[in-house]
Amino acid sequence: MNDMSDHDLASPEDSAARTWGSSWETSRRRFLSISGLALGGAAIGLGAAGCGTAKTGNDNKGGQAQGRAGAAGETLFVAGFQWGPPTNFNPVGPSPAWPAGGGQSQLIYETLVRFNMVDGSLQPGLGTELKENDGGKSFTVALQEGTKWSDGKDLTADDVVFTFEIAKDASLSYSNVWEYLETVSATDPRTVEFKVKTKPFNPLPVKNAIAGTYIIPKHIWEEFATAKTLAKQANTKPVGSGPFLLDKYDQTQVVLKRDDNYWGKSVFGTPAMKSVVHPIFKSNSDGDLKLESGEIDASQQFTAQIWKMWEDKKKPVGTWLKEKPYYLPGNIPLLQINQTVKGLDNPKVRQAIAYAIDTPNIASTAMSDYSEPANASLILPTGYESKFYDEAGVKDKGWTFDKNKAVEILEKELKAKKGSDGIYKLPDGTRLGPWTLITPTGWTDWNTACEIVAKSCQAVGIDVKTEFPQAPNVTSKMQNGDFQLACWSASGVSPASPWSRFRDLLDDRGAAPVGKTTFYNFTRFKHPDVPKLLDDAGAATTDDERKTIYQKLDAIYRQTIPVVPLMYRPLEFYEFNESNWTGFPTEANPYAPPMWQGAGITWLFKIKKVGT
Amino acid sequence: MKAVNFTPRFWVALGLVLFTLLLGLVGPLVVHTDPNAVVGGLYDAPSAQQWLGTDNEGQSVLANLVYGTRTSLIVGLLAGTIATTIGLVIGLVAGFQGGWLDDALMGMTNVALAIPSIVVVILLSIALPSRGSFTLALVIGVTGWPWTARAVRAQATSVRTREHIDVARLSGARWGSILAWDVLPYLLSYVVMAFVLQVAGAILTEAALSMLGLGPSGSVSLGVMLYWALAWGSIRTGAWWAFMPPTLMLTLIAFSLLLLQSSLDEVFNPRLRRGRAARRKKVVGVTEPAVGAPVPIPIESGEDSDVEVGRGVETSSGTHTRGGNG
Repeated sequence: MNDMSDHDLASPEDSAARTWGSSWETSRRRFLSISGLALGGAAIGLGAAGCGTAKTGNDNKGGQAQGRAGAAGETLFVAGFQWGPPTNFNPVGPSPAWPAGGGQSQLIYETLVRFNMVDGSLQPGLGTELKENDGGKSFTVALQEGTKWSDGKDLTADDVVFTFEIAKDASLSYSNVWEYLETVSATDPRTVEFKVKTKPFNPLPVKNAIAGTYIIPKHIWEEFATAKTLAKQANTKPVGSGPFLLDKYDQTQVVLKRDDNYWGKSVFGTPAMKSVVHPIFKSNSDGDLKLESGEIDASQQFTAQIWKMWEDKKKPVGTWLKEKPYYLPGNIPLLQINQTVKGLDNPKVRQAIAYAIDTPNIASTAMSDYSEPANASLILPTGYESKFYDEAGVKDKGWTFDKNKAVEILEKELKAKKGSDGIYKLPDGTRLGPWTLITPTGWTDWNTACEIVAKSCQAVGIDVKTEFPQAPNVTSKMQNGDFQLACWSASGVSPASPWSRFRDLLDDRGAAPVGKTTFYNFTRFKHPDVPKLLDDAGAATTDDERKTIYQKLDAIYRQTIPVVPLMYRPLEFYEFNESNWTGFPTEANPYAPPMWQGAGITWLFKIKKVGT
Repeated sequence: MKAVNFTPRFWVALGLVLFTLLLGLVGPLVVHTDPNAVVGGLYDAPSAQQWLGTDNEGQSVLANLVYGTRTSLIVGLLAGTIATTIGLVIGLVAGFQGGWLDDALMGMTNVALAIPSIVVVILLSIALPSRGSFTLALVIGVTGWPWTARAVRAQATSVRTREHIDVARLSGARWGSILAWDVLPYLLSYVVMAFVLQVAGAILTEAALSMLGLGPSGSVSLGVMLYWALAWGSIRTGAWWAFMPPTLMLTLIAFSLLLLQSSLDEVFNPRLRRGRAARRKKVVGVTEPAVGAPVPIPIESGEDSDVEVGRGVETSSGTHTRGGNG
């Protein structure tokens, strides 16, 4: 300080220099010696940092038999659904916070019936069962006994009709059901009837919507429907029908408490936990560390090499399968190829790319062995879709990783010539690349898959590089066709799959051209036979009939290759740590599917506190 | 140059720098594994075939390390050259010319200094359509020059008032030629040190950017290796071979360059000398270096220039913090 005042009269520049100079002169060498240490520390620290203030259960070392003490012991800690501060709990809005979002646990809002991805069945929810009449021309659902909202009012068929009717006028996430749905009506106060349109006739999306739509209370939402502000509601005090109530939330956590007046006590029982807490993390690694230490009980995160937690570190961690691939496949991340880009519009080029991609390596590294190498099919080879899977077709007409075959296609069939830069040029002078492959930043498994695709393509002489923009950017690029190559998935396993997946990827009806927003067919694919086959598949009444049509679609897909399957991914990741709660379903104890959404809610009622 | 006594510190620093250069430039020729080739699975532990194991894509960590070191060094050298050149030109012109040009140039430099350069670097690298290692070096280079410009300007101002400049003017030398032959040589020792610091700073900045996921696309660098190691939880799964080698390598590069800089400081500035070299001088009774040697100029010019040397070092350390903390 003294030094500085001495030089106050000098030019400001000079005095600043003097004080800085003297204060650093002495500590310069010390700075040099610690800078190395600091750097090493930074690398290690970063991995552990970012745990932030998110609240989790305390790690109770050595107390495995008792689990956590106190209130934390009565709480189920989950992770992997919420990645930013919650802004709204509006189940019909565009981006609701956990657990109000579609495809999340039915803790606050419930659906009529619940999909089970293991056997494809629809389990009871608010309704007892989904009755199919006249080969799918209509569906009826009878409500369970005594269904009630958390504010004490009765949940009736009127609420169900209201929930579906509002999607007719307002644009909500399930509005597209009205393309296939004729009417929804209450035949009596506790029974709802869904009439399916005859043209186009397709009961699958209707079934899908009945199983996937949260029913909302008419007495609360009616005024917003008339005011046309449904999607704008923040709904911070959600009134639902589920077993839990929203207790509190902030930027670090969402806390739910058990509703002891839950209508379903007599049907489903009472959950053992008094509250469910979702701490909000910044990245996968934070949640992974806490799952390993038992501060998170169940998680929906991609956790690389999860088996090390029980094999090497002997933690009571588990997944659905004890052995590889640990999870059940439920979705297919795909290399989506823009059909309007010159060079990529050639199916033979796309075939060469399909052969070039090192899918075994993607499965073993990018997917951490959680996937078999992807097959040349849009149908999942396992689970309930496997009954449609065409093993012979995939073997005879499909592709597998084979660099030489890729080069052969380029040189023999396309007559492409390799330039001095090692990249092929088609006879018309089109250079194969540079093409950019995009996927959202931070999605580590997909990022790595993209890296492998780019390197695989480079290795055979196709110029591909990667770029990882923010997720919302990628979404809008996909929807507007403003991409060359992208890693993106289509719909996962559902009551309507694989029909929904074929439609997402191959149907050009209603899909906007490049530059306009579309919600499916991002690659802008066109094939004359596809629309009819899709309609036929939707209208088919037996699985055998569907199987034939699906396999025809799959054969067209294998000839045209608008997308290349990169790997299989679970519908949701499902892993648990049994140091506080036990009895999670596994393949050996399959009383519930390895899901969070749909029928996955079943296990929440069955898991028990350790030692009880 | 016989008067210059290199300290042991200098030789150690030079040895370390040469080692990293050798590793980066010759290493890729010795390690025949392609850094992009798949040689194993996800995080295979080190073995006789793969001395440093494999990374999250099943690629050899050793191959990635030597190629990554090369990329990091190239980015560092290129960015260091760009930053030093810009800083040197602006500082020389401003300091020697003075007047409104000085005011204008220094005004610009002060504005550039006031903006946190890591922010500019991040924004620039997001905005660029493609991110090769050369564009990255360019981005780091064009944001790293201000402190060099300030320091060089201060030195040039003091040289401007020397008699030999007047002599040069009287003998009809042109402006450019005076700058190049009569001013620059007096600053060279300082410029060399600034360059070394710029290189170290640029390498660390590249690592910081890469760890944020903004690294050079399509090539491997030490920062990119750390980025993937962190993203894939190598610390949780205990795959130390994924994050330790690049961390140690970065530490080694930065440490050796900083050590070189500080030992060069001793070589150029006898006042800072310690140990045997300094004691010997005292015994012999040499008080100050003789007039005429261009190298130890800062000492001759007395009080003023001492401050300037101090400032140079200070600001350069400041740059370092930026890279190191990222």
